[in-house]
Amino acid sequence: MRTTLRVNGVDREIDVPRRTTLLTALRDDLGLTATRYGCGAAQCGACYVLVNGRAVASCLLPVEQASGVEITTVEGLARDGDLSPLQQAFVEEDAMQCGYCTSGMLISATALLHADPRPTDAAIRDALAPNLCRCGVYTRAIRAIKRAAEAEAGGSVQATERSRT
Amino acid sequence: MTWGEREPERVEERIRIEPDGTVVALSGKIEFGQGIRTAFAQLVADELDVPIEKVRVVLGDTDHVPHDMGTFGSRSVAQEAPLLRRAAAYARELRARGKPIEGAIPTDVRLRPDAERRYVGKPMPRLEARDIVTGKARFVADVRVPGMAYGAIVRSPVRNAPVRRVDDTTARAMPGVVAIVREGGLVGVVAEREDQARAAADAVEVEWGEAPPPNEQRWDVPIRDDKGVDEAITAAPTRLEAEYILPPISNAPIGPSAAVADVRADGAMIYAGTQRPFGLREAIAEALGFDEERVRILPQMPSGTYGRNSSGDAPYEAAILSKHARRPVLLQWTRVEEFAFAPTRPAAYLKVAAGLDANGRISAWRYDEHTNVHTGGGFDPRWGAEASGRNAEPHYRLPKARVTLHVEPTPLRTASFRSLAAAENVFAIESFIDELAHAARQDPLAFRLAHVEDPRLRRVTEHVAKSAGWGRAPGERRGLGIAATIYHGTYIAEVAEMHVAQNGRARLVKVWAAVDPGATLNPDGVRNQTEGGIQQSASWTLFEEIHHRDGRIANSGWDTYPIATFRDAPESIEVDVIGDPTKPSTGVGEPGAVCISAAMGNGIFAATGVRVRQLPMTPERVRG
Repeated sequence: MRTTLRVNGVDREIDVPRRTTLLTALRDDLGLTATRYGCGAAQCGACYVLVNGRAVASCLLPVEQASGVEITTVEGLARDGDLSPLQQAFVEEDAMQCGYCTSGMLISATALLHADPRPTDAAIRDALAPNLCRCGVYTRAIRAIKRAAEAEAGGSVQATERSRT
Repeated sequence: MTWGEREPERVEERIRIEPDGTVVALSGKIEFGQGIRTAFAQLVADELDVPIEKVRVVLGDTDHVPHDMGTFGSRSVAQEAPLLRRAAAYARELRARGKPIEGAIPTDVRLRPDAERRYVGKPMPRLEARDIVTGKARFVADVRVPGMAYGAIVRSPVRNAPVRRVDDTTARAMPGVVAIVREGGLVGVVAEREDQARAAADAVEVEWGEAPPPNEQRWDVPIRDDKGVDEAITAAPTRLEAEYILPPISNAPIGPSAAVADVRADGAMIYAGTQRPFGLREAIAEALGFDEERVRILPQMPSGTYGRNSSGDAPYEAAILSKHARRPVLLQWTRVEEFAFAPTRPAAYLKVAAGLDANGRISAWRYDEHTNVHTGGGFDPRWGAEASGRNAEPHYRLPKARVTLHVEPTPLRTASFRSLAAAENVFAIESFIDELAHAARQDPLAFRLAHVEDPRLRRVTEHVAKSAGWGRAPGERRGLGIAATIYHGTYIAEVAEMHVAQNGRARLVKVWAAVDPGATLNPDGVRNQTEGGIQQSASWTLFEEIHHRDGRIANSGWDTYPIATFRDAPESIEVDVIGDPTKPSTGVGEPGAVCISAAMGNGIFAATGVRVRQLPMTPERVRG
């Protein structure tokens, strides 16, 4: 089945069997491996991508339903090599250990900050509850998300400059 | 070879300097999120006096790094840091003299004074951080090799069941199928796409035989055996006994096991998330009938697996599939496979009794640990007590004690899991110490300190008590619990503030920890590891249990094996790193995980008066 996916602002044509999941198409057909397999049942958050700005489990979404929407993966969060304030905050807080679940967290947090630029602790916990982390960086990730929210609200200029490395 | 025994060290095995000045540091240790790549880079950059960006750390590539037993037991920094530092120091000397970087490292090589070091001892974000947040980081299952196909395994109902008959007529004709593989007890499919491999694997019909009976080994291992313990307990004015129970639990990595194998006629490349690259090389070479030199293991970033990667299931399976398909093969287990076919930490039953003298001091102690081996292989008497009986002996002054490890069969395959048996032993010991303190009508902190002889253990215990405001009343249905231990030379004490709802649901509200890992390379790395250990072990404590019947695991996903989520995370985990700079560096990957269960149980007791002696601490158990 030939279809076109719009990923990170670019139209990409793929030819895959019917009912191929978006996760498989991203990883195996488009080489975008930052979106990761964790459970195949939308229970862990490792495969989250932004679909029209909302965090969605790509492991259950067939490509048939993914054409005609705007898909953003972690590879698309940085702009011209500048980390997003959220990516920068995760680095600064070292809010990761093995890093396997980090992509999914960044996606959920990006969607959250878009909908709620100054989230409370409780809102962060609720929004990221679907993102399981076994290494246990939850408290650091909460700190990183708040730091990113502050950077975006208070000094987006400084944040951008800081992230240029 | 025993732990710690090594050939004389040669500088070129550990440090190379490339023409452009890049320093390559080589180690057989593996990075899987514990931050050793960064710590090693800090150390080498300082010793050679180069910017850290000029250091490239190569870990575990069996064609390039020196032989290594494996990455476990929180020993990487303790074992490797001094070796790397000495190698880098000698390389600096050779570089200054314009000599090639080679030769045996002299015993009197001059190290740079600590005061001149720029990186060591300073907090440092992980070197991989930028690649992780931008998605550039490559995990095992992200490896893509030209011509690569995908594998899937046909699973037997119970592990190790022999294959009686295979009917692959339907599967063979399915789209994308490259090969149907059968070798020994392994039946699998290789196809052009992963979905095709899975669909065909489902269509292969296999008649399985009876699996061999589970491991029946039994060992009784005396760890300490003083005379007259039973008599002393019987004669004590106050006597106490308790039993603690822990269920089997799963390492439960977020990323299931994976490997890429490229097996050719004359050799093999294996991309794997292994903790033992040289052990894996030996096993793969044997399975493929190659000399070891023909097999190259290229360790990749795995999802954190906390010990489970000591066993090489996926690399072995991928290698056999690749051999028969004559293609490079990526195999990633499904979530269901990862729960049902991965090894587990065995259940444990801890029975403890003690006597208190008239002054409320422990006069005698008897401890029986019943569990299976805590490693992937069978029981090895050379280090079995160190592994499966780890931390069974308390670090308190005990005039008389008998401590015995009883290795007994359990129905499930076992694996190493963060801190091995230390987590269960310290849960039992530090809970029981709390019970003894209350029996003696003493404050649990004061009771501990009265039995501590080691000054570093005293220091972390007093420090954490002060940070947490020990002695305060934290509020309605809230309580503080304390626990401490020494793990492979690292001193750690933790206080948990617990809240217990009316329905019995226990919540970890705040945690304080004090850790002394000797001279500290990366303080923020130490904090991150300790926090993670606490968070993971709090999850074991409150939620986790493997359910099984007739050797088959019933948990199949995160719905049936829930772990802590963002909603369960404590409000804060405050880790004070108070490493004694005059003492050798020790590891921090595991210690954080060791004493939080007892601290939480003790906190629940302080909040409600209910003593929870069985994990997980479910609402039913916490209601009492």
